Amino acid sequence: MRKISLLYLLGCLIFCTAALAQDLRITGTVTSADDGSSLPGVSVQVKGTQRGTQTDAMGSYVVEAAPNAVLIFSFVGFTPQEIPVGNSTTIDVQLAADIRSLSEVVVTGYGTQSKRNLTGNIAKVSGAEIANTPVTTFEQALQGRAAGVQVTSLNGKLGQGMQMRIRGSSSVTASNEPLYVLDGIPLTTSDQGTSSAPQNPLADINFNDIESIDILKDASAAAIYGARASNGVVLITTKKGKSGKTKFNVSYQMGSSKPTRLRQWLNTEQYVELFSEAVQNEIDAGNLPASYLTGSTYNRFTRYAAGDRAGWETGKFDTDWQAEAFQKAPMGQFDISASGGDAKTRFFVSGQYLDQKGILVKNSFKRLSGRINLDHKATDRLTLGVNVNLARTVNGRLSNDNAFSTPLQIVALPPITPVIDPRTDELSGSYTLYYNPLLNRDFSSNVSTSYRTIGNVFAEYRFADWLKFRSEMGTDIYNLNEDQYFGKETSRNTGAPNGQGYSTWAQITNYTTNNFFTLGQTFGEKHDVDATLGMTFQKSEASYNSVTGQEFPSNAYTKVTSAANITAGSSSASNYSFLSYFARANYRFDNKYLFSVSGRVDGSSRFGANNRYGFFPAASVGWIISDESFMEAIPTLSLLKLRASYGLTGNAEIGNFDSYGLYRGDAGYAGVPGQRPEQIENPDLRWEQTTQTDIGLEFGLFSGRLSGEVDYYIKNTRDLLLNVNVPGTSGFRTQLRNIGNLENKGWEFVLRSDNTTGAFKWNSSLNLSANRNKIVNLDGQVITGGFINQAVEGQPIGSFFTIEYAGVDPANGDALYYKNDERPDGTFDRTTTNNPNDAQRVVVGNPNPKLIGGLSNSFAYKGIELTVLFQGQTGNDIYNGGGKFQSANGDFFDNQTVDQLERWQQPGDMTNVPQARLFGANGTAESSRYLQRGDYLRLKNATLSYSLPSTLTSRIKMDRVRLYVTGQNLLTFTKYTGWDPEVNADYLAGNIGLGNDFYSAPQAKTIIVGINLGF
Amino acid sequence: MKHILKNLLPYALTGSLLVLGGCANELDVKPVNTIDAGAAVATSGDVAALLVGAYDALGDADVYGGNVLRDADLLGDNGEIFFDGTFVAPDEIFRKSLLVNNNQAEVTWLDSYRAINIVNNVLANLAVVTEGDRARVEGEAKFIRGTLYFELVRNYAKVWTDGTPSANPGVPLVLAPTVEITEQAKVSRNSVGEVYAQVIKDLTEAEANLPESNGFFATKYAAAAMLSRVYLMQQKYPEAANAATRVIDSKKYSLVNTQDVFDLRVNVNGVNTAEDIFAVQITSQDGTNSTNTFYAAPDFGGRGDILIEDAHLALYEAGDNRANLFYEDNGSVFTSKWINQYGNVKILRLAEMYLTRAEANFRNNSSIGAAPSVDINLIRARAGLAAIPAASLTVANILKERHLELAFEGHLIHDIKRTKRNVGDLPFDSPKLVYPIPRREIDANANLAQNPGY
Repeated sequence: MRKISLLYLLGCLIFCTAALAQDLRITGTVTSADDGSSLPGVSVQVKGTQRGTQTDAMGSYVVEAAPNAVLIFSFVGFTPQEIPVGNSTTIDVQLAADIRSLSEVVVTGYGTQSKRNLTGNIAKVSGAEIANTPVTTFEQALQGRAAGVQVTSLNGKLGQGMQMRIRGSSSVTASNEPLYVLDGIPLTTSDQGTSSAPQNPLADINFNDIESIDILKDASAAAIYGARASNGVVLITTKKGKSGKTKFNVSYQMGSSKPTRLRQWLNTEQYVELFSEAVQNEIDAGNLPASYLTGSTYNRFTRYAAGDRAGWETGKFDTDWQAEAFQKAPMGQFDISASGGDAKTRFFVSGQYLDQKGILVKNSFKRLSGRINLDHKATDRLTLGVNVNLARTVNGRLSNDNAFSTPLQIVALPPITPVIDPRTDELSGSYTLYYNPLLNRDFSSNVSTSYRTIGNVFAEYRFADWLKFRSEMGTDIYNLNEDQYFGKETSRNTGAPNGQGYSTWAQITNYTTNNFFTLGQTFGEKHDVDATLGMTFQKSEASYNSVTGQEFPSNAYTKVTSAANITAGSSSASNYSFLSYFARANYRFDNKYLFSVSGRVDGSSRFGANNRYGFFPAASVGWIISDESFMEAIPTLSLLKLRASYGLTGNAEIGNFDSYGLYRGDAGYAGVPGQRPEQIENPDLRWEQTTQTDIGLEFGLFSGRLSGEVDYYIKNTRDLLLNVNVPGTSGFRTQLRNIGNLENKGWEFVLRSDNTTGAFKWNSSLNLSANRNKIVNLDGQVITGGFINQAVEGQPIGSFFTIEYAGVDPANGDALYYKNDERPDGTFDRTTTNNPNDAQRVVVGNPNPKLIGGLSNSFAYKGIELTVLFQGQTGNDIYNGGGKFQSANGDFFDNQTVDQLERWQQPGDMTNVPQARLFGANGTAESSRYLQRGDYLRLKNATLSYSLPSTLTSRIKMDRVRLYVTGQNLLTFTKYTGWDPEVNADYLAGNIGLGNDFYSAPQAKTIIVGINLGF
Repeated sequence: MKHILKNLLPYALTGSLLVLGGCANELDVKPVNTIDAGAAVATSGDVAALLVGAYDALGDADVYGGNVLRDADLLGDNGEIFFDGTFVAPDEIFRKSLLVNNNQAEVTWLDSYRAINIVNNVLANLAVVTEGDRARVEGEAKFIRGTLYFELVRNYAKVWTDGTPSANPGVPLVLAPTVEITEQAKVSRNSVGEVYAQVIKDLTEAEANLPESNGFFATKYAAAAMLSRVYLMQQKYPEAANAATRVIDSKKYSLVNTQDVFDLRVNVNGVNTAEDIFAVQITSQDGTNSTNTFYAAPDFGGRGDILIEDAHLALYEAGDNRANLFYEDNGSVFTSKWINQYGNVKILRLAEMYLTRAEANFRNNSSIGAAPSVDINLIRARAGLAAIPAASLTVANILKERHLELAFEGHLIHDIKRTKRNVGDLPFDSPKLVYPIPRREIDANANLAQNPGY
């Protein structure tokens, strides 16, 4: 307190001294250099004093200052100006908007910091970069835009879950998704639906409301989020109002989508040929009776051809089933926003309506979103505000990729089956090889509706220029309703002969309060200190219920109230809480030497009684070498900064009660109540710990025209939260334990360049990241996922671990596998066998890319602008789990990919497709036969826009008129032969389940046209 | 500024601290859908609920909810059915080419041991049970455990009649509840002989402790009936005949008309018939009749995966009313036995007792309870068939009668193995007719030896 008093005294002295000089009364107005509009709320400060004022609603100010004084005009988003008073009594100022300065402030946890002074690694993506991207959720729009951030859409279904990996996977069992925080409030991001195809709660966010997305990647940046920061933290900041004339922005865009690629399937003639041969081969081998071809097989063909032998024999029916899975996919989006305010109150309001159809039949997504962000200066010291977002999304959903009813499984149907059964003039149904997914299109509905309220209120009190206190109270209320009805026509799929209805509600209420002090002071000119100190508490309360009913009077009744038989119902709840204290201090000496320490104490209800609180510290240093006097000799080097950080973060994303020994009361039997042991206790359970070291170099050349960053990091995760397989003879399958460790190491490169300036502007931005994941130790655990994914010690997570396909025996058409028995000398037996049980499993591939990246180019000339974003990855493999059905050389009656016509037919044939053998399982074992490289390069986004010149727009009283056309996923370069290399079958997607394809829909290629009006 | 500091800061700090103090308790969040294991088994009622949990686990789709029955018929099939489904695991079983990671072999193992652990928890808490209920609870628990070990040993190990049971590896016997997972959880396989001994011990004690009537739960006669099956498997014919006789002579059960043996109604909750000794209970709200899932046509809630071939239909003599227990759907023939998706899954019914006793007596050249021809002709008469004179009765007659009567009820492969017949070209002792020890299990427990052929 003594120091504070001294400072106060000092302040008084300065004030008094200044008052002694002969002051002038200076007036003036401040306007925007852009459009001449007046700027209220601009700070007008007498340099070197505490004296100052703000412009009023008209942008006018009055201030007293001595003739030798200098006035500083500053305002967020504009370049500050310093003007000597001299003898003027009127000083009018035009402030120029400063895009660069905006992007150079990064949002840190519980604060902001200038990029220059940052010692951690934070990737920033501005809202402007992703605005109006024709995708449903902002993570998709982030693809290729930030180094070290890998975003994967599971498939081309709208509203579906996404996978985001920041600097690789840091966990085997706990979540690998980052923590998402919107305006200070951690969001509910995990799937709350009941389908095994995850639904994305982040799709509720209208990303045109986003001002910036700041991705905290290293420990220094993320440790302030402690036990939940191991996977990185994504901070989303929404737009704030700007004082001045109210500005309206209206946009409309429309367009349509189609699949990025289709696959080639057998037509009727090829189908009959291949399968007749497959049967004959088995007859010849004595595995099928001689009559099987002309008897059973032809009967089967006729059955599949709607009972019409000519249907398959003469090619009367030749259905392209794949085409039936897709639909016309139009989309339209309307956005409106207004922002403005005066010196005291600023607001931003927005609304959006998005209506999009998916490329797959029956898939749709609609979002209605409204937001109001308001802040008000109650007094000089007290600011109050509120940010509220209301959204409703309606998602027409589909079955998961593993279901017969998912549209793309339609490709399994033989081409000899007509879409419409000529005998009934109805959709082919009961007689088809498999359930016809089109029945779901016509006789079912599956709609998920979410109602989302994300909001917070805050108050900020400025005790002094160097000290303020901020208190935030926020909620994220997520209500999800799934409403499904399956008509009696779908009974082959549902098992319910007279219709089935299903309804669920989930409500997740997530409360957060953040209370923290922010301090900042400069001492003796060379010492800058700022600090943050506070606490946060979060509680999430979730409740769920569901009901299933069967036996409906007709398809006109679709709600469970009409079900004669209520077959299932449930209600449940699950809560968790976090109580945390955090602190951060930054110290800067001489504006060149940067030091930062931060730490967080996290307590969570999720952890065992013995380990409830954890401490997560981090420290970092930075050195701005370019500011050293010895660097003045290299004037081209405008920035050279070295930084290093080290710290500890945790991962607490496990189940809410994983540490308990539990019994569950769901073991009733025929109406008699029952209970069962469910989980073995582990009171020692704790968070995973990740220590991360990051060394980074930032540079700028030619006054910042070329700038970049290089980072190298090592993330070591220990005490992995592992669902350890225990002997099943114990009555349990797994137990969650802290066992083992893994590491991620990698490089990140970011390069930005203003290639040309002047009338023709060309900017480029490149990011490349190479992450190497390695499971170091699993204590011998075998943890599997997907079809053949496994966590294998010494290998990247989710490595493809199976037997190795060795091609086809030219002598007899047998599929061969390498035996791969390990010999005592460590070599492998490379002889082959036709018995998959005799072949040893080995690591055959890696689903994790070795390199991911994005390259963005922007060209602007006068009002015309073209931006082009390429995104890609390399070094990863994809396993097509559907291969054993789709490309199985006629093993069963599923239609086959055309490449199966390359099958072995006679001795000496050299091919990779084994002899066709019906029921012969010739090459259909899970093996590397169905593994392919997954490298791709994609023209992710290209936008061509034209902004009308202001001479024209002003005539129609507009500030801005912009027309644009955007293409998403326009071109894809890949050797992968499946539908799309950006894939991870939805029902298998997880930490281990990576890089799988299973009838997964391709991404959409979307082209839209749009218009933005600003007035 | 001083003023403000003095006045506001303390409030703010105090306010924050209050919030913090209140929050610390908020970290104690208790589960609501589940309860603490330590408090779950405190009363007699808790043990009773746990016992019901054991039935629930026994009735799991991958155990007696149907898949164990289904797989016995798929593995033993000689061309009388065709597996038309897409599930890889049953398809491998049908083709007699199980891979070591066969998923069905894995889940049947896991779910059986899950049920066994529940039973072991019941048995460890018998002291809590009201005295009047204790014997029954013990009996029911041992019935379930004995039954499960019997299914495990005959699926995952060499058949009793193959080599020396005391030397052949069986399955691990776990007889105590799991309270923590330690190295001791890495159990080894007991011998086939040891497992059978435990099965017989459990079932014998169950028979002794169980009441004659017990609703749809296990009774004294369910235990005796299961024992007869075990003894028949071991070719201990007098014991098998005696056990069957105890069931028959109880007069608790009676043969019903052929069309009433199976639940031919559709989409209604299952009921036990007078013939049922033990059946897994299914309702529209609880349990999955997995035999329906695979055997029934889509119109009846099934996947329609198992088609009945002419080779089977041709086995029925003219006039056999069991030949009516089939229906055609879209050109394929299905069995009606599992047409009701909410019907019970029959595990033990009286007809089996007659067939078992007939075979045991015939092979033993005895007439325990009744002469073999009497028992066989009882079954034949019910099917509407003429009697076979005692003099011309053969083992083949008896086995054929058993085959047709108990078709698609989970007996086939075991009957074939114990009578040392072939499945296609595979001899009864082919390793292909024994399940692999699940790969995940060997991965988790290095002490388990794999079966030959995997």
